[in-house]
Amino acid sequence: MSASATTPNELRAGALRRRWWRRHRDGFGSLAAAGPALLFLLVLYLIPMAMLLAQSFEGASLPHYQKALTDDLYLRVLFDTLLIAACVSLLCLVLAYPVAYALSILPSPWPAVGIAFILLPFWTSVLVRTYGWMVLLGRNGLINRMLSDLGVIETPLPLLNNMTGVLIGMTHVLLPYMVFPLYAVMRRMDPNLAQAARGLGASGWDVFRRIYLPLTLPGVLAGMTLVFVLSIGFFITPALLGGGKVHMMAVLIEQQVRMFLNWGFAGALSAVLLGATLLVYIVLRRLLRGNMQWS
Amino acid sequence: MLKRVLAVLCAAGAMSGLASLPAQSQASAKPSQIVVNDSGGATQQANRKTFYNAFEKQTGVKIVNTSPVDLGKLKAMVASGNIEWAVTEIAGPDAVTAERMGLLEPLDHSVIDLSKFPEHLRNRKFVFPKSVYSTVIGYRSDTFKNGGPKSWADFFDVQKFPGPRTMQNSPIEQLEFALLADGVPMDKLYPLDVDRAFKKLDTIKKHVAVWWTTGAQSAQILIDKEAVIGTAWNGRYHSLIKEGAPIQIEWNQGAIKESAFGIPKGAKDAYWGQRVLAAMADAKLQGEYASIIGYPGVNLEATQHTDPKMVPFLPTNPENLSKQFWIDLNWWADNGQQVQERWARWMLER
Repeated sequence: MSASATTPNELRAGALRRRWWRRHRDGFGSLAAAGPALLFLLVLYLIPMAMLLAQSFEGASLPHYQKALTDDLYLRVLFDTLLIAACVSLLCLVLAYPVAYALSILPSPWPAVGIAFILLPFWTSVLVRTYGWMVLLGRNGLINRMLSDLGVIETPLPLLNNMTGVLIGMTHVLLPYMVFPLYAVMRRMDPNLAQAARGLGASGWDVFRRIYLPLTLPGVLAGMTLVFVLSIGFFITPALLGGGKVHMMAVLIEQQVRMFLNWGFAGALSAVLLGATLLVYIVLRRLLRGNMQWS
Repeated sequence: MLKRVLAVLCAAGAMSGLASLPAQSQASAKPSQIVVNDSGGATQQANRKTFYNAFEKQTGVKIVNTSPVDLGKLKAMVASGNIEWAVTEIAGPDAVTAERMGLLEPLDHSVIDLSKFPEHLRNRKFVFPKSVYSTVIGYRSDTFKNGGPKSWADFFDVQKFPGPRTMQNSPIEQLEFALLADGVPMDKLYPLDVDRAFKKLDTIKKHVAVWWTTGAQSAQILIDKEAVIGTAWNGRYHSLIKEGAPIQIEWNQGAIKESAFGIPKGAKDAYWGQRVLAAMADAKLQGEYASIIGYPGVNLEATQHTDPKMVPFLPTNPENLSKQFWIDLNWWADNGQQVQERWARWMLER
């Protein structure tokens, strides 16, 4: 048997290889295209994060994790952080859903105008917007002064330096992250679906509940995930609008990094926060997935 | 012919070599620019107009400014050996921490002249005492027309001086203020009785409308009437008073402390960092700096060079100085972490 001859087995293997390559060619192509971005994330994000987490382990006893997971101070702040993030996500959803819907059905050029109005504050510095809210929401702020001039209230409403102020400020900053995923999904919706449902006798509420809402759920999920994850890391807005009375994890982590140079404990707190975030994300995904199938 | 050419070449080479020797050693030591890190904002502008411009004129080296002040970044720079700063400002108790962790180069006393500084500061090894500032009581003079709070006891007395308060969101100084309000004399504060301080703080907690985090916020809160009595760094109040804001400063029992500068351990431009500090130690420049911003240096001759109109607003003005107490930064460096956690826990209680 000469070296160049091929056996049927080898032929079959070659065919299999070619078929495998054809099937996965696109995958490799997109992997190569995503290469620079992946490398960027690896070098500038994953490796530093791994290094920070590595610092949080000290031998086998894990004192940093023991403290982060048993000390009621950190557990309560973790719970508050997740709760605030959840509230902001829901507020964003309630406010963004009708806006995105309106944008998706308006005739040109109104969607573009609306998007410009959403993008303008989006491009403004968070710090500037936060100070702007301080001017509006204060005891002698524009809102309270207008309401008392109109005789609606006698004592100023407590809008600033508490949880209300933090929720308003954060919802405002994060709203675009909810509007855009919803708008993207709604614009692709086939309007005939709703018309067909109406034609078959469904009420407006039925159309919304059984057709529109399930079909826009991917946008809801994407938007809520974005807003939730971004909320968890919020720092300057709660510090300035909460009057020091609203506590979020990022502030405690920053203290450990900058004031006490206790990077091991900072790493442990970050890991706990990351773990909790992932857990919530997975549960949220499961819930919404289940919902979609049920619908 | 060839010989002559070679000779000329050699001579030229030797000459250029000789000529370039000192120039070259200077060039390798003398950078075209160095980075000085400070807290930015109004203090950076005042630094620029005085110390930085003088340094640039003296040395021909340009100063590039960065901010904010960040102890974590200093540690990261020293640990990685990639040190951007020739010299950096260091806030409050952080200076003690930085010195203890070995993050600073020793001060070169042959370059920096500390002979006109107060005696207890003349032998500083690592931390350069650049200027002093004080956390003082401020109140709205239109709310308290017949005189405002004169002490921390008054500050804590919500019957005598009703109205919302603002304090810094930090245990540092708030514990001292509470103890003073509870009757501890200024010279018996340290070591702090932490339990007693928190017990006293309990009495004022619900009257504190805002726990401020940034310097700009602290004074603005009084302008916006979110609070009518508060604490802030003296320069913050002064700049608003200068603009005509109805705010009065009470120096009594103010917390005075130094704002420090230091050279990161292993900084490649360390020598030029020493030269920047030398400019900051200069009496005339310190006087000009204080005239702009109200934060005096500690060179004892600086007052002669300070605008007389500014002197009443300086924490080091003898009349003000005698009423205040010095923060014990060592106590805070020893106990900061533990007390900070207790503070956070206390804040979470309703």
